[in-house]
Amino acid sequence: MSILVGLIILLSVIVLVQILRVNELISEVKDQDANEITDKDNNVQGILTFAIFGVLFLGFVLWQFKYWGVHILPPASSLHGAKIDTLMNFTLGVILIVFFLTQPILAWFSLKYRGRKNSVAYFYPHNNKLEVIWTVVPTLILTPLIIYGLNVWNDITSTDTGNSKVIELYAKQFNWTARYAGEDNTLGKANYKLVEGLNVLGVDMEDTTAQDDIVTREVHLVVGESVLLKMRSQDVIHSAFLPHFRVQMNCVPGMTTQFGFTPTQTTAEMKEQEGEDFEFVLLCNKICGAAHYNMKMKFIVETQEEYDAWMASQETLKNTLTLN
Amino acid sequence: MSEHHKETFLTKYVFSLDHKMIAKQFLITGMFMGVIGMLMSILFRLQLSNPGESFAVLEFFLGEKWAPGGILDPNIYLALVTMHGTILVFWVLTAGLTGTFANFLIPLQIGARDMASGFMNMLSYWFFFAATIVLLYSLFVESGPAAAGWTIYPPLSALPQAIPGSGLGQDLWLIAITLFVVSSLLGGLNYIVTILNMRTKGMTMSRLPLTIWALLIVAILGVLSFPVLLSCALLLIFDRSFGTSFYLSDIIINGEALHNTGGSPILFEHLFWFLGHPEVYIILLPALGIVSEVISVNSRKPIFGYKAMVGALIVIAFLSFIVWGHHMFITGMDPFLGSVFTFTTLLIAIPSAVKVFNYLATLWRANIRFTPAMLFAIGFVSTFITGGLTGLILGDSALDINVHDTYFVVGHFHIVMGVSAIYGMLAGVYHWFPKMYGRMMNKKLGYLHFWVTFISAYGVFFPMHFLGLAGLPRRYYTNSAFPMFDGLSDINEVITFFAIIGGLVQLLFIFNFFYSIFKGTKATENPWGSNTLEWTTPVERIHGNWPGEIPTVERWAYDYSKPGADQDFVPQNVPLKEGESEH
Amino acid sequence: MQLNLKKNKASKQLLWIGIVSIVMFFGGLTSAYIVRKAEGGWLEFEMPIWFTISTVAIVISSTLLLFAAQNVKAGKSGTSLLIGTLFLGILFSYSQIQGWGDLVAQGVYLTGVGSNASGSFIYAITLMHLLHLIGGLVALTITTIKSKQGKYTKDNYLGIQLSSIYWHFLGILWLYLFLFFTYS
Repeated sequence: MSILVGLIILLSVIVLVQILRVNELISEVKDQDANEITDKDNNVQGILTFAIFGVLFLGFVLWQFKYWGVHILPPASSLHGAKIDTLMNFTLGVILIVFFLTQPILAWFSLKYRGRKNSVAYFYPHNNKLEVIWTVVPTLILTPLIIYGLNVWNDITSTDTGNSKVIELYAKQFNWTARYAGEDNTLGKANYKLVEGLNVLGVDMEDTTAQDDIVTREVHLVVGESVLLKMRSQDVIHSAFLPHFRVQMNCVPGMTTQFGFTPTQTTAEMKEQEGEDFEFVLLCNKICGAAHYNMKMKFIVETQEEYDAWMASQETLKNTLTLN
Repeated sequence: MSEHHKETFLTKYVFSLDHKMIAKQFLITGMFMGVIGMLMSILFRLQLSNPGESFAVLEFFLGEKWAPGGILDPNIYLALVTMHGTILVFWVLTAGLTGTFANFLIPLQIGARDMASGFMNMLSYWFFFAATIVLLYSLFVESGPAAAGWTIYPPLSALPQAIPGSGLGQDLWLIAITLFVVSSLLGGLNYIVTILNMRTKGMTMSRLPLTIWALLIVAILGVLSFPVLLSCALLLIFDRSFGTSFYLSDIIINGEALHNTGGSPILFEHLFWFLGHPEVYIILLPALGIVSEVISVNSRKPIFGYKAMVGALIVIAFLSFIVWGHHMFITGMDPFLGSVFTFTTLLIAIPSAVKVFNYLATLWRANIRFTPAMLFAIGFVSTFITGGLTGLILGDSALDINVHDTYFVVGHFHIVMGVSAIYGMLAGVYHWFPKMYGRMMNKKLGYLHFWVTFISAYGVFFPMHFLGLAGLPRRYYTNSAFPMFDGLSDINEVITFFAIIGGLVQLLFIFNFFYSIFKGTKATENPWGSNTLEWTTPVERIHGNWPGEIPTVERWAYDYSKPGADQDFVPQNVPLKEGESEH
Repeated sequence: MQLNLKKNKASKQLLWIGIVSIVMFFGGLTSAYIVRKAEGGWLEFEMPIWFTISTVAIVISSTLLLFAAQNVKAGKSGTSLLIGTLFLGILFSYSQIQGWGDLVAQGVYLTGVGSNASGSFIYAITLMHLLHLIGGLVALTITTIKSKQGKYTKDNYLGIQLSSIYWHFLGILWLYLFLFFTYS
């Protein structure tokens, strides 16, 4: 099999060489330089550049928005996420305007100024006024973009999470575990040296605040209630990525990171919107080993009543880890 | 004056001190590694667009152990992704790009016989060669090559128990990178000292071609930032091999609790990206320099706004040192720090925009000659606009939250590096081939190569932005584990399709390159009608570059279509006419 | 002569820029030290007395090297002073190793149970300095041999100048590291 492939490659190379040799011989006969760029070349290439850079490429971009734009995530299902979406739309708008202005100019100039033997280019080495214009204009466009972006970032990172429900996300190769902080809304201390047997999170059961902690394999949230996710990792860097909520935060062994947010839509609502198969999901988003692509945990957003019913069926660590 | 010493095959082609030969050594090694890196990407793209399907070609290249039954092993998938990134970022786009063009062009364009130290220059190549051997060797070790991503974040890169590639493969990677950095530094020292000291009479800094400005600034960037990669790697080597806790803390791996406490992987990220970000400008700036030259020569017009172009290069280089945190927005850093990095990152858009507008202004009212090099240069402008604009999203910390480490990033950096910078490199090869080898590359093959590449490249990388906005993470072996990504398989198939075509057409370029070295039509001394000094050297190329005296420079490099001139170009060494003023 | 001057100037510039790179390398390491220290859990301990001896040795060695260069510039031989520099350089290396031994005796380890980043950094960074210094010793040895062979004149002693620049740099770098570790 490889011999056949090798032979085909060899044959192709030989054929190519002969084609080139013939090409050059023909040019020699015609007393032309095979590699000189003629007016005809410039004409063809100029037209091609306009057609492909200006029409085909831009058309392809629009086509992609039309047919693949549907795959873009639905509007955010969180409070801060909505702000991010608005910022994103604004930024995309600015980008697309600049894109659809500059690319056609590039294509048009390539066509209009394609070379001809008798043409002369215009000796125009600089124009300070123009330089100032196209330094100031981008600055004027970027300034509101930067200020707007910093405002949203500030909003997101300075949200008061004092009353948020605390939930820990614990990452390891290759799954997620969640730990609710319970009635006292305080997570019990944990230490990696205490991981043993059923105590997969290494919770220090001597800590009184750990008694009411609840370990689960899926996360239920109450719609409209703010949560504070606290991330830990057991082994390597993972990243807690909840794309529908616009939440992402690295899980780093040796430290605890956090991200607070408020879900604004229930899973049921989303199923109506996006289809029965929809689920909110947590993914790992930092290369962590062979099964990096398969670390998932379901997130369910529901009403207070549904949440209470689910919570009632969960066991506290006091019951699962300590001997009564 | 050229030295008369007896040349053997070894002294001429292998252990050469001549900058032109060293340049070609870098080029050919870079091209060779490029083919390997590209092949890796085709292998893993097959897996991505057809998960679970068996491909004979996978087993052919990777053997039964890593692609049993023609299906890629997940660990090897990550190893391929890692090595692809490593090879393309460092071996092809840094050594292959700067190593080639800095070595080839600097003495020629400034009017010097050779580099300040031919010996150090030769050493620079041989360290690169040694690095290449070590890296290639790592592909064949039992536990596989490094697999923690080209960014090698610990603890994944520190613990062989976390992924097999972090065993011997990662050790070899670290050795290879150390040799590589030494090579880059040796080269960079030479580039700076040569440009500052060995310019010919009349070649003031303000008459330097933009290519040289770019290469000078890149060398300075490298001298300041590559050593920090070594600092970063040193501490990783200690953690890996001596059990220290610089980056490691509170770890249980494979059921075993490790003794390390107090370390921080985030420290690694800061040190790594302190190089990592300037690195991408080390990749981009030579391409910018080459494109400035190629566009100007083939427009028969001066590059518009020479001073502003130099200024923009300097501002971009300076800013590149203070933006590294934008790779770390979601590490839990102090939000204020995040704001600072957003601000500095978005600022880089301004000098970048100035450069783009200056390129457009150069094309305005030009008399464009479409050589293959010119097509790649114009292609560079298109992809630099596209890739640069998506940077405005990624550089904004609030927006980065949902696109970090998704395919949106992969699309962005491929378009600016894997397409733009490669276009710059290809433009350089096509443009300076006559001076390197005394022959012309085949024009028709060049056109075919360009158009298929241009269409394929956008076909591969533009759709990735949609994958990213759909939430698809990068470095995923397959998308089939999450139902939410089921609808994306069409896009993945299109990407793989264009990747294969784009990959294959590069073979046409390689064929053209080697064929033309031996059988290309003989070139004249200055086939492009260019003003810069390299085109005043004889076609046959000699040690010491000029047979007689080195030309004296009388004007800047951009007198194309100057009113009152006899031709549409006036080389730099032509004295001013009576009454003619210098630009 | 013209060519020689240009070559001299270029060689020195090459060395200086190389030194800038080395500075960045140690800058990265000492920045990492600062960042790590700020996170807490940092073991404090005394610098070993042998490191003070290192400091004295390297300062004197630079002084001797300075005199050697002055001698050659005045047309005299610098060989014996160069040998003195070399000897003190070797003494520096010896005192570094002794210093590490002292640290271990104090309970400050590179790695393993009971080790702390503060100790690890000192070992790693001083080792790196020592490795660069060994390079300097090699350069000095070559310079000393050439001096003994009478290869240097008062108009051309580039080798001594280059070795000096590098050696003085290593001394200043050591001073910086020593003060940094002692007072930060």
